[in-house]
Amino acid sequence: MNTTTQVDFGSDVVGNLGPGSTLALGEGPVRGRLELGVSVRGGRSVASRQFHEGALRVLRPHYLDGSGQVCYVMVNPGGAYLGADLFLIDVEVENNAALLLTTQSATKVYRTPGSFAEQRMNIQLGEGSRLELVPDQLIAYREASYRQNSRIRLHPSSSLVMAEVVTPGWSPDGASFKYEEVRLRNEIWIEDGSGAKLLALDNLLILPPVNDVTGMGFMEGFSHLGSLVVVDPRVNQGLADELAHVARDFDAYTGVSLTMTIAGTCGLVLRSLSNSTEELNTLLGACTGVLRERWYGQAPLNLRKY
Amino acid sequence: MSATYQLALQQLTDSALPTGAFAHSLGFESYIERGLVGDEVTFGTWLSAFVGQQLVYSDGLALRFLYEGVDVGLLDSVLTGQLLAREVREASLKMGGRLLEIGGEVFPSGELEVYRGLVREGGAMGHQPLAFGVIARSLKVPFDEALSAYMFATVTSLTQNAVRAIPLGQNAGQRVLRHAHDAVAAAVLDVTQLCWDDFGAVSPGLEISQMRHERQRARMFMS
Repeated sequence: MNTTTQVDFGSDVVGNLGPGSTLALGEGPVRGRLELGVSVRGGRSVASRQFHEGALRVLRPHYLDGSGQVCYVMVNPGGAYLGADLFLIDVEVENNAALLLTTQSATKVYRTPGSFAEQRMNIQLGEGSRLELVPDQLIAYREASYRQNSRIRLHPSSSLVMAEVVTPGWSPDGASFKYEEVRLRNEIWIEDGSGAKLLALDNLLILPPVNDVTGMGFMEGFSHLGSLVVVDPRVNQGLADELAHVARDFDAYTGVSLTMTIAGTCGLVLRSLSNSTEELNTLLGACTGVLRERWYGQAPLNLRKY
Repeated sequence: MSATYQLALQQLTDSALPTGAFAHSLGFESYIERGLVGDEVTFGTWLSAFVGQQLVYSDGLALRFLYEGVDVGLLDSVLTGQLLAREVREASLKMGGRLLEIGGEVFPSGELEVYRGLVREGGAMGHQPLAFGVIARSLKVPFDEALSAYMFATVTSLTQNAVRAIPLGQNAGQRVLRHAHDAVAAAVLDVTQLCWDDFGAVSPGLEISQMRHERQRARMFMS
């Protein structure tokens, strides 16, 4: 059922869940590495630390409005993820800084025979800082296996908005779900003076060869999956109900719920199934638009114009 | 055949055990509202998906890791983090709380006291599969038996709830239960083959339906 060998269980628990631990490197070569630190200088957010090697880099930063939020666009010059490729991304948004991180184009995962492509992301948000993480959609093609592990550590006063769309890719016979495995795993930790507490483990695993993923109880007859995670002290039941209401206007099957409250902050998770990337992008954009307007007086995101 | 724990396990998994399981659909009531679950066959389809996904990746793995000696406080926090549909998280805590209480009355043990103490002091929240696992382990119930008994008890209360809610005939309910034997056997096998990274993996459809239940107008169940 699972292609990994059984790991040593005791250490694996610590490796994956201990917020202070570092991620061990996998079997594959590190194909790309990106490190980005953002801090506030002269009233706006700028990169205070930046490093890249291999097939990952960022474009020159933009400022989309007068808010001081810096926008970085990640680029994978190779254009795709292949078997055994490992990509490492490390992002730190320092106290009071604001970062919008996106991608130049869809993340495409091609055939990874007997192996898998993997992206590991480590994110740390300082006091009063803000990250909007809005990559383009993930496209997993026939016989592709992809694992994305993100570990996000927030201060109770920081703000995270993360939106993602997974598409079923394409195969010569036109059928969906020809990939082997898509695994998107996010651990979200809240850290303050009293230590670190797990707020959410958002773990999505789609294994088309093993389960019938198309029908009732899985993809419900839909082909695309969208996900929005918001962690912010201003998240509450009223906001969850409001975003559920916004979602009703879209041709998508959507649910919204709240996590526990930890150290005064709370998470909101919206999941949506649909048959098109565009529908889900518009839905997620409408929801993040509500937050941008209300919390920062910003216009909705329109990355396509840049 | 009659191991010393046999009657205790029967009592613990009896659908009359007052944990409040009659009040939870764990999401199938959303499918009833959408008209997708409405008879024996369609409920059986939902039940198989629920057993193969939620009971394997969440409850089943929690039970296995507990039996393998992983710290109950850690497992408790990971369950709280992974049950993203609020009503299902609350259901696990509500039934877990009752089970901890009943266990303290009728199957007291040192291990159970440790978990109850953690919950009392705020170091854990008290989830159903962990409360069950701690008690079953203290009674020396072997892992495979504990897991299949737990899963089938869940299947039984969900089916009884479906019999009332859909409604289904009593005999139809029994046929659903008989068909679920295979799903539970396969699920037990799956649980033994997964690893830590699989813990808490959800099926988007089940999860969305559980989330949507929060805003469903006419409903019989708390989840």
